[in-house]
Amino acid sequence: MTTAGGLWLHAVMRDPDPARLTGLTGVGGGALRAIAAAGLTAVVCPVDLAEFGAEPLRGNLEDIGWVEAVARTHHHVAVELSQLGPVVPARLATIYLSDESVVGLLTRGRTGIDAALTRVSGRIEWGVKAYTSSAPRPTPAVAGSGPGTGADYLRRKRAALSARSEAATAAAACAEELHRALAEVAEASRRHPPQSRGLNPRAASMVLNGSYLVDAARGDRFAETVAELASGYGAIEVELTGPWLPYSFAIVPVEETPDG
Amino acid sequence: MADSLALTPIALVDLLDRVLATGVVISGEIVLSIADVDLVYVSLRALLSSVSSVRAVTPQPFAPQPFAPQPFDPLPIDPVGPA
Amino acid sequence: MTGRVEVDRDGVEKGLASLVLTIVELLRQLMERQALRRVDQGGLSDEKVEQVGATLLALDERMAELREHFGLTPADLNIDLGPLGPLGTLLPPA
Repeated sequence: MTTAGGLWLHAVMRDPDPARLTGLTGVGGGALRAIAAAGLTAVVCPVDLAEFGAEPLRGNLEDIGWVEAVARTHHHVAVELSQLGPVVPARLATIYLSDESVVGLLTRGRTGIDAALTRVSGRIEWGVKAYTSSAPRPTPAVAGSGPGTGADYLRRKRAALSARSEAATAAAACAEELHRALAEVAEASRRHPPQSRGLNPRAASMVLNGSYLVDAARGDRFAETVAELASGYGAIEVELTGPWLPYSFAIVPVEETPDG
Repeated sequence: MADSLALTPIALVDLLDRVLATGVVISGEIVLSIADVDLVYVSLRALLSSVSSVRAVTPQPFAPQPFAPQPFDPLPIDPVGPA
Repeated sequence: MTGRVEVDRDGVEKGLASLVLTIVELLRQLMERQALRRVDQGGLSDEKVEQVGATLLALDERMAELREHFGLTPADLNIDLGPLGPLGTLLPPA
């Protein structure tokens, strides 16, 4: 069935009660719909290709306001669906042109998706970010002119720079230790690439951006562990985010073969 | 549990770290997926450096680099006070 | 009407100033690090070291004056070379 619309893939689940989907809307305001195949259920919603087609999407993805609105809706739906069972969310902006191709996704990807569903079932994700401690830096006082002030200035600047580089080295070492300790108590761990300074002004001093998969029942204990460990590291400031839907562990291998 | 998932205020940058880099993606008859298109990668990269195809850059501790000696010319600015 | 145009002009002027001063500040910091490395290398007379330092100090002070003149804080110039030095700004752009 080809229409002028596309299908935004929200997530894949095992066997949600279809009645629970009624009344829920997804990205673009369309009603959520289930497409079942191979023992799995894809949750989609219709989107207008004028906004979500290849060309318009390229433009829209450069608009951070548009991306934010869409990402938050995508997330909200994933959270709603998680109440119905384990969820493997789709990557943002995964859009299909027909029910058949969605069925193809479920059929070809069944093994990987199933493994991901098992991996995330009953689990949550904690995000742990660490930054080099922002120690107050001495502002160079207005020096008088006179013999030796130039050399003084150099000494002060050099000292300030060494202090900063030492702080960064110490912070990186603490971050490694923290990550290793958390990875040991978590079911799985993953490190994300550095964040962009356009979105996070503190990104320049970020030394850890990690995600940790934890049994839901042990979620609070893990958060306490983070706080305990963090208090022992003077060189870093630690920030906990979450609990998240286990996005970072719901990874399904990308299939390169073109659709038949 | 779902309640706590819903109520926690979420920073966009942290959300994008997750929804851009992970999830179900299978090539084929899809219109566009973030990992696929270089053009999107190039323009998005200006805003978001968490696209999975970007090579992860891990900050390294600062190490002094060997410095090639260069003649140092006095800077062409007079070190005077207010004119 | 005239009042409104003047306010806009101030805004444009300040915006332009912060753009220009950001670049100037970047260059100043790069030059300063370069100079420090050169001094650390050694082989300069005390007089020379003093001259380099005095020049950098004057640059720093002049930069502060310019910032104040336009009502900009260091944070407005959005420069943080960070511990990596210039590499910190050449990696993923903001």
